[in-house]
Amino acid sequence: MADAALQIEHLTSGYGEAMVLRDITLSLQQGEVLAVLGKNGMGKSTLLKTIMGFLPPHGGTIRIHGTPTTGLSPHRLAARSVAYSPQDQAIFQDLSVEENLRLGLRSDRGFAPALDRVAGFFPFLAKRRRQAAGTLSGGEQKMLIMARALLSRPRLMLVDEISEGLQPSVILRMAEVMRSELSGSQLSILLIEQNVQFALSVAQRYAVLTRGEIVDTGLIAQPGVEARIHDHLAV
Amino acid sequence: MSAPMRDAAPARLPSERFRLELGGIGALTLLGLALVAVGPLLLDRYSVNILIRSFLYGSIAVTVDILWGFTGVLSFGQSAFFAIGAYACGLAFSHLDFTPLVAVAALGGGVVVAGLVAALIAWLAFGTGVSPLYISVVTLVLSIVFVQVIYAGGDFTGSSSGLSGFDTFDLSNEAWFRIAGVALVLVTLLGWIFVRSDAGRLLVSIRENEQRCRYFGISTSWVKGALLVVSAVVAALAGYAYAAYTDVVAPDLGDFQFGTMLVIWVALGGRGTLIGPAIIAVLIDFVSAWLSGSLPFVWQLVVGAVFIVVIVIMPQGLGPALAGLVRRLLPRVSRIQPTAARLAEAPTYDIETHMQMGHAPAAVEITGVARSYGSLHVLEDISFTGRRGELVSLVGPNGAGKTTLIRCISDGQERTRGRIAIQGREVGRMPPERCVRLGLGRKFQTPNVFDALTVAESLRVSRSRLERLSPWRRADEIHLPEAAMQVARATGLVAQLGTTVRHLSHGAKQALELAMVLAMEPSVLLLDEPTAGLTKPERTLIGGILVDLVAKHGLCILLIEHDLEFVREISSRIIVLHQGRIVLDGSVEEVVTSELVRTIYTGEPQAIGEPAAAGPGSDG
Repeated sequence: MADAALQIEHLTSGYGEAMVLRDITLSLQQGEVLAVLGKNGMGKSTLLKTIMGFLPPHGGTIRIHGTPTTGLSPHRLAARSVAYSPQDQAIFQDLSVEENLRLGLRSDRGFAPALDRVAGFFPFLAKRRRQAAGTLSGGEQKMLIMARALLSRPRLMLVDEISEGLQPSVILRMAEVMRSELSGSQLSILLIEQNVQFALSVAQRYAVLTRGEIVDTGLIAQPGVEARIHDHLAV
Repeated sequence: MSAPMRDAAPARLPSERFRLELGGIGALTLLGLALVAVGPLLLDRYSVNILIRSFLYGSIAVTVDILWGFTGVLSFGQSAFFAIGAYACGLAFSHLDFTPLVAVAALGGGVVVAGLVAALIAWLAFGTGVSPLYISVVTLVLSIVFVQVIYAGGDFTGSSSGLSGFDTFDLSNEAWFRIAGVALVLVTLLGWIFVRSDAGRLLVSIRENEQRCRYFGISTSWVKGALLVVSAVVAALAGYAYAAYTDVVAPDLGDFQFGTMLVIWVALGGRGTLIGPAIIAVLIDFVSAWLSGSLPFVWQLVVGAVFIVVIVIMPQGLGPALAGLVRRLLPRVSRIQPTAARLAEAPTYDIETHMQMGHAPAAVEITGVARSYGSLHVLEDISFTGRRGELVSLVGPNGAGKTTLIRCISDGQERTRGRIAIQGREVGRMPPERCVRLGLGRKFQTPNVFDALTVAESLRVSRSRLERLSPWRRADEIHLPEAAMQVARATGLVAQLGTTVRHLSHGAKQALELAMVLAMEPSVLLLDEPTAGLTKPERTLIGGILVDLVAKHGLCILLIEHDLEFVREISSRIIVLHQGRIVLDGSVEEVVTSELVRTIYTGEPQAIGEPAAAGPGSDG
């Protein structure tokens, strides 16, 4: 059997002395989307930052496609076809839309067809490729981040609340884009979401994070999953 | 991310912590004073001579640290203010007879000139829309201009050779040593108390996020200007003492080399630690003087090498390194416990008292507002009225110009055309801090908070226009209006009062900014996606709080939101923006069921991502 796209075992992580994640074990199979849900401050973004190497884990192991990556720095992970789209508007404000996209590829070869491909997802990108990215609206910046992450055809994507601040129709489009990228490719996605509906529409499995621990996990196809998740998120 | 472990630890009250720290600094002060008292008895004459100068430099380094380390104002011109004080002394005593009256007049003259020049610099460098780099450039130029003025002064200023041999105070070196030493200890102590007070936290919040401060109605240019003037006065006093003691003034006292040196000392001593820069300034000046005597040709090389070593070993500077050492040696005493003030209900916030009843004007009146960037029209012909007791939601595709509209309402300099009135008063070209004083509150799209402050400190700063911040104390209670308190409770912020904002989750930062804006007790509230990043139950709670504010207190809320279900639950009216124009303005039912909204907003995939108006839309 092929190695899991992402295999995390007994991961502990946090800032300084404060532990945010405790003993996390989860796996993401190839071609799968796993939605990590949870209230605010439960450690969701910390999980992604730790996987991506922005935070050194205090314990545990991370394997990506079978190779241990614990403690590797972000640029090394990016070289292994891991794409990360962070929650804060991580674009280069003063660069143009096209320049921002270009930075998503390691070499300029193949940029033109790749640009055509992502412009197919979000047509405004092609029309406004010369515009400074900082002058895009908040939601447009989110689409740019998604497009940039997809540009390099990553094998593993870590996506942090991409639906925030998007108009409903664009959220639908995001889901569509993810599904079409998943079909027939080796892409796997770890998705962090606040928008449960959106998460359930693209993911096959879910995990609920509470106070740094996984308290529930399962298949989305099961009956009654949505109600169960809403129970976890209730105040 | 929040730190669950921190939540559990009981937080100390700010005044307790302050007293505790005051004990520590008090002991250091006494130690400093004792050293100053016995110094002349133990040291040789040469060392005493040098240390007098070093102490004076130390005082200026403290002012540079308050300006740069705490407030983020990088000034290279403290040398010029120092020299202005020195030349006031030198000129007066050279050209007039030395009498007590002349001495006092010269001191006053030096201080006033330094203060006026600083005020002029502040006026030039802290204007609206000026880059923060500008103050560095202007102060650098100041020091160069100062030297040129002295050169041009001929015999009057002594030109390049300066002035010397004038009559001056008849004081022994021991006396000067004690004057300069006590001054350094006092400046450091007062500076220390000030930066740890509530007002001192304001300086840090200006450094961290000046825009957010201005949207709290704080005139940041005024605060920075006042600080620059006070720092200039302290430097001028030190310069006066320097000239009176050495009996020499020369142009290089005010040159940019010395100004830059002060900045380097502060960097080596540790920005934002006060004591570090004071110690480093004294140490380096003293050692350099000593080395330049014994190794006249290579001393600068030695000093340069030491700088590099210090920066490599202690990248944060001496201050933080010392603090780390103390923590390691005395782990129990110095363990930093979280500090947080208590929250208390503010006296009921009743918007009715803010305005005359009867002929109350509309909360917001917008007439023909347009915003274009060159040929690009982001907003065109926007007109509507927001009344008190109304929650108006602005919806529209990404890039429709919603954020731009909010920006035009809250900053008089943003719009290209049109008129905006808040509570019946014209906004004109007012900067944000003055718009805020008309009763406006604005929450930004992405969380706009103070990373280095704690949650409690942030809330305190947001109240600064309603409750004065004390420059020598820390308040234990933060008064919040009911709505801000409810948001803090509903989102769990009350349990994280002592947490540094940097460590909060994205959603918690959103909630904090909302609570801060509500704490300002605005009567017109502009909210750009206030619940993005929050969970559904949290959204529902906040929706309820907003509805309450509108119903009970008569606020007018303008809200940008994408979740139509949420909008439907809370709004009294919905305005739809598309391609920079209002395409629909009507009741909730009218808008939600409209065909137009479905086409441009919720459904039809072909419309997606093709908003024609390229709206600069995010304030970052």
